[in-house]
This record gives sequence, structure tokens and C-alpha cells, in this order.
Amino acid sequence: MPNQYFGDYITVLVFMAVGAIIVGGAVVAASLLAPNHPNKTKSEIYECGINPVGGGWSQSHIRYYIFALLFLIFDVEAIFIFPWALKVESFAEAGMGGFIFVEMVIFIVILLLGLVYAIRKGVLRWE
Amino acid sequence: MIPLIAQVSADGLQVEPGWYMALAAVLFAIGATGLLLRRNALVMFMSIELMLNAVNLTFVAVDSGLGSLEGQISVLFVMVVAAAEVTVGLAIIVAVFRKRATASVDELSGLKG
Amino acid sequence: MIDYHALAPELILAGTVMAVLIVDMLPVRKHWTAVVGLLGLFATVVPILTLGFCESLDFCDYSGSREMFGGSYVIDAFSLALKGLFIGSAFVAVLLSVGYLESNRFWQGEFYFLMLASVLGALVMASSRDLVTMFVGLELVTGPTFLMAGWRKGEARSNEAALKFFIIGVLSAAVLLFGMSLVYGVTGELTFTGIRAGSVGVLDGDLSGLFIIGVLFTILGFAFKVSAVPFHFWTPDTYEGAPTPVTAYLSVISKTAGFVGLLAICYLAFGEVTTLWGTGLWVLAALSMTVGNLIALRQTNVVRLLGYSSIAQGGFILVPFGAAIAADVTGSDLEEAFFATVTYLVIYAFMNLGAFGVVIAVGNRLRSAEIKDWAGLFSYAPGLATMLGLFFFSLAGIPPLAGWFAKFVMFRSVLASGSGWAGALAVVAAVNSVIAFYYYSKVVVSAFMEKVPDGVPVAEIREQRTAPSLQFALVLTTIGVVVIGFYPTLISGLAEAAKTFASGF
Repeated sequence: MPNQYFGDYITVLVFMAVGAIIVGGAVVAASLLAPNHPNKTKSEIYECGINPVGGGWSQSHIRYYIFALLFLIFDVEAIFIFPWALKVESFAEAGMGGFIFVEMVIFIVILLLGLVYAIRKGVLRWE
Repeated sequence: MIPLIAQVSADGLQVEPGWYMALAAVLFAIGATGLLLRRNALVMFMSIELMLNAVNLTFVAVDSGLGSLEGQISVLFVMVVAAAEVTVGLAIIVAVFRKRATASVDELSGLKG
Repeated sequence: MIDYHALAPELILAGTVMAVLIVDMLPVRKHWTAVVGLLGLFATVVPILTLGFCESLDFCDYSGSREMFGGSYVIDAFSLALKGLFIGSAFVAVLLSVGYLESNRFWQGEFYFLMLASVLGALVMASSRDLVTMFVGLELVTGPTFLMAGWRKGEARSNEAALKFFIIGVLSAAVLLFGMSLVYGVTGELTFTGIRAGSVGVLDGDLSGLFIIGVLFTILGFAFKVSAVPFHFWTPDTYEGAPTPVTAYLSVISKTAGFVGLLAICYLAFGEVTTLWGTGLWVLAALSMTVGNLIALRQTNVVRLLGYSSIAQGGFILVPFGAAIAADVTGSDLEEAFFATVTYLVIYAFMNLGAFGVVIAVGNRLRSAEIKDWAGLFSYAPGLATMLGLFFFSLAGIPPLAGWFAKFVMFRSVLASGSGWAGALAVVAAVNSVIAFYYYSKVVVSAFMEKVPDGVPVAEIREQRTAPSLQFALVLTTIGVVVIGFYPTLISGLAEAAKTFASGF
């Protein structure tokens, strides 16, 4: 045992190896023991009875993109709130609580303005 | 001599900051190569993100070496700017796609530099 | 506490940006967005003036430069002069856009919102003295312009221009940022003064390799932004594909912002390592002038011609610095070089915006920007043809127009530094001035002397009137080009700005 740190990982490795042997052994045993007579009818899709139509790729509506864009930008802007939340108390203790609160209100009002704009332009209407 | 990549201390495995910088440089190179060689606009976006994240890794690695905070704050700004850029870029791609029904840059050759 | 007076220009402009967005949501006619934008730009001039003439005002008790946020943000004569330049150019750029957007039925509200947001970025860049503020300012300048370049959404060429511009813009931003992160990694500082102090002797240390790559990548990123040769290839495509008012904006405001960032970083942050980038600036200046001019010679489209000419003009703007560094000029002797560059930037803004104004006005009538279609312009639109001559000869540097004074101070600063390499650059610049004169005059001669080509509906065009806003913009720029040409002392106030900046070096 080199040291405690790697020791922890060796437990994980042993566990993974045992898992792999059990799963692999079961698969190999099944393929050796089970009878195997393939034919065409067997490999058809049977669940709902209808053969699939069209390709595997389908186009999604452009509206999803716009929602994704809006989500992305608002989601990432929220990152600035976290450092603010960490520092708010120490600012309040220094007597600048009002100042730092107003700052964040301004930031959020700007973000809200963007959201109101998106609503006003009908981007969020799902028809 | 094999350079020191990592050492074990009481807190666990510690990687030398220089190797993070090296990894960042490799990521940046992969991103730049992808941007220059791939022709699908969406893949080019991913390459750009890779480059910007390499920058983030550099900033954070430097900070862990210096014990300072400035770089970590820079990372926040870089992330937000990157998101804004991707938003702008996707909007442009949507406009191109509506017109051309393609996302390949090679198809766009109406203007000759 | 925060010095709100010093931040007033940015705050007022930020308020204007939001006001434009709100007006766009109200059920009023869309041209009110432009009106609000223009009023906001006008209001922004007020604090710039009160800050600039602080010493002679009663309520203003602070003079000299104001440093804020631990030296990251500086308001001094230099940044104020540039802010004035940005606001003035933005005023003209909005005027150029009004008629164009209305007559072509493009979206208007968002356009002014994006343009003013971009101008806000330029204001931030003029004052920023640390890497991250500079980067955020730069991205605020370029981000909206990607969208503006693709404003003609239905047209494939505009889309293509936007996509190319976007990919090059983002690539350069990533390169710039990687360079910045390496510089931060070596010096451990983000502010320019800190980097400068930290870079003393770094070239002899272990980390010199990282530092050299960092500095080069940073400058490379800016070279893309100012489209200096050999990083210029996106410029003509984007300029041609974008709507013409946007091209005017790109070639003046966004380019000037790039130069401001480049000079601030080079001189304030990398001032101790001039050996790394001095030669680079010299080469960029010489190449931009020569290549830009030689390719401009072969252009048949006025917008592309102006695109390549703006690359060449960018070379002229870099000349004083290339020469000063080559001659090893330092300290307060750099004043001359800074004065030359700021003067050149101001005059370039007037004449280039004016030239694009003429292109928009003529393009609206002829529906073509090909030089051969412009032949005989004087016979049916004498006013526009005269202005075309005025702005193009000013760009070529013919006295007594303003462009002449810009070239004069440029050559004066180069010869003042007096070394062999500086002299060589002066020779390159002189040869290029002659080449530039040839292609500018070719367009003017064609407009004045040649016969009108068949198929131009002359009678119809005589009836058409230029939009009032465009007329106003043309009058403003014409006055600027003529008056500065005759009374160059008007802009001697810029010398003060140059002195402040040089003293920081």
C-alpha cells in the first residue's frame, strides 16, 4: 500500500473489476447457453405494430432556439448575483447596505427590462 | 528526468499549476485548429467555447498558484461574455439557415476577399 | 465613494440605451427611437465638457486625472478627448442610419439600441486601464456590430458578412484573451500600471517565453480589430455585405476604439518591453499602408474601395508610433506622436463618415455602388458630386482640406523623431500618399468628367431629395473637413490630451 490516498482508489478499482467480471460472465454464459435461430420477422419492431417512417433526424422548430437563447443569457447573467450575495453582509456591516442593495436592484431591473422586451415582442408566445 | 506533474500531500493529490497552464494551451490549440479546419458553423462555435474555456483554466490555475482572486473574478466576466457571444452567433446562424438551409461555411462564398 | 461626476458620460449613455429600448416597446412611431438616441448622445456631451473644463467651473473642485476602482478606470484629458470623438462620430452615424433604415423598412428600434450599446463600450475602453475592463469594453463594442452587419436579414450577402465578421471577431477575442491570461499569469497583475511594474526584467527570467507569447497574442488580437495587414482579410467582405451606415460605423468608431485599446495596452502596460512589439508596429504600419493602397487601386466598387482605403488609413494612424518606437523616443517626447495620432483619428472620423454619407446618398438613388455607374454624377447631382470630391480629396490629403493637416502632423512627428528607421517609414508613407491620391482622384474624375452611362434614369434622380437627417450629417462633416482644414488651431486642444497620456508613459 503506497499511502492512504491511493489506497482509497484501489478499493474502487477492485470493485469495478469484480463488477465487470460478473456482468461480462453473465453475457458470455448467456450467448453460450441460449439457442440462436435468427430470422427476418424476429428483428422487426413489434411494440406498436407500425413500421417507422422517415429518418432518425427530425428538424425542431426554430422557436426552440429562441427560447434556448433567452434561457442561456438570463441563466449566465445570474452568475453576477452570487459574488454579490457573498459580500452583502460585510458591506452592510460597513454601513453601505443601502448602496449595495440599490446596485443589485439596478442590475435586476436591467435584466427585467430585457425580459419585458422579449414578452412585448411576442417571443415568449407559444402558438 | 521526468518533470514533476503532481505530488501527494495531506489534502490529497496536488497537481502543479504549470501543468494546468500546459493543458490550457493544448485546449486552446485544439480549439483554434477546430475553428480553422471544421466547416460546420455549430462545430466552429464549440471550438470557440473550447478556446475561451482554456483561457478560464489559465486564469484559475494562475490564481491557485498565486493565491489571488483577481483571475477568478475575470473568469466570471469571460463566461458571461462568452455566453453573450454565443447568443449573438446563434442568432446569426438562424438567420443564415432561414435563407440558405445550410450551416456549412463553405457554402457562403458570395463575397470574395 | 464613487465619483459620479466622472462616470456621468457612461451613466447617461447607459440610461439612453435603456430609454431607446423602452421607446421601442411603446406604441409610437419608430423614428422616435432615433430621436431619443440623438438627444441622449447630446446629453452625454455635457458631462464630458464639464469634466474637460473642470478648472474654470465653480462647482467642480477637482482637477487633473481621476483614478477610480484602484486605478482600473481613469478619467483624464486623453480619455475625455476620445470620448468626445466617439460621441460626435456616433451622432453622425445615427444620422446616417435614419433615412437608410426608414426607406428600406428595416427594424429600427433595436438598431439604435445596439449602436448606442456599442458606443457605450467605446467610452468604457477609452477610460479602462486594466485587462478585464478593456476586454469587456471591447466585447461591448464588437458584440452588437456582429448583429448590425447582418441587418439586411433577407439578403444572403449581409448574412454572410455577419457570419464571417462574427467568426473572425470571436477568434480574435479568444486570442486576445489568451494573451491577457498569460500576461496575468506572469505578472500576477491585471491593472496596466501593475503589469508595467511587474514586467521589469521579466524578459531575463524563467517565464520570459510565456510573457512573450502573452504580449504577442494580445497585440495580435488588437491587430485583427483594427484590421491591420496581414489580419485584414475580413474587412472588405464585411464592409461590402453590411448595410452602408454600419460600414461607416465599423470603419470609424469600432476601428478607433481598437486603436485606443492597442495604444493604451502597448504604452501603459507593455511600456517596459518595447523591444517585443516596437518592430511589430513598424511592420504593421508599413504593410497596412502599402497592401491596403495597392489592392484599393484595383477596386471597382466604391464601398470596397473605401474598405481598403480605411485599411491604408489605419496604417497611417500607426505611423507615428512605429516611427517613435523605431527611434527609441520615450517619455514626454512621445507627446508629438500621441498628438499626431489623436489628431489623425479625429480628422479621419470626419472625412470617412462624410465619404460614407455621400455613398449612402448616391447609392439610394442609383441602387449601385459601382464606380462606372457613378460616371457623370456631377451633371445630374452637382451637390453630392462636390461633396464626394471634398471628402475624397481630404482622404487623399490635399490642402487646404482637413486631411492635409492630419498628414502634416503625422509627417512632422515622424521627422521630429529623426532616425533612419523612422525616415524609412516616412518614405513609405509618402509613396503611399501618392498611390492613394491616384485611386481617390480616379473616382472623382469619373464623377466630374465622364459621360453618364446609359440606363441611368437622370430625370428621375434629379427629382429625388436626400433625407433631411442625411443632409444634416453631410453638412456637419463638410463643415468639419473644411473648417479644420483652414483653422487647424481649433483642435490644438488635443495637444493637452496627448501630454497627459505621454506623461503616463
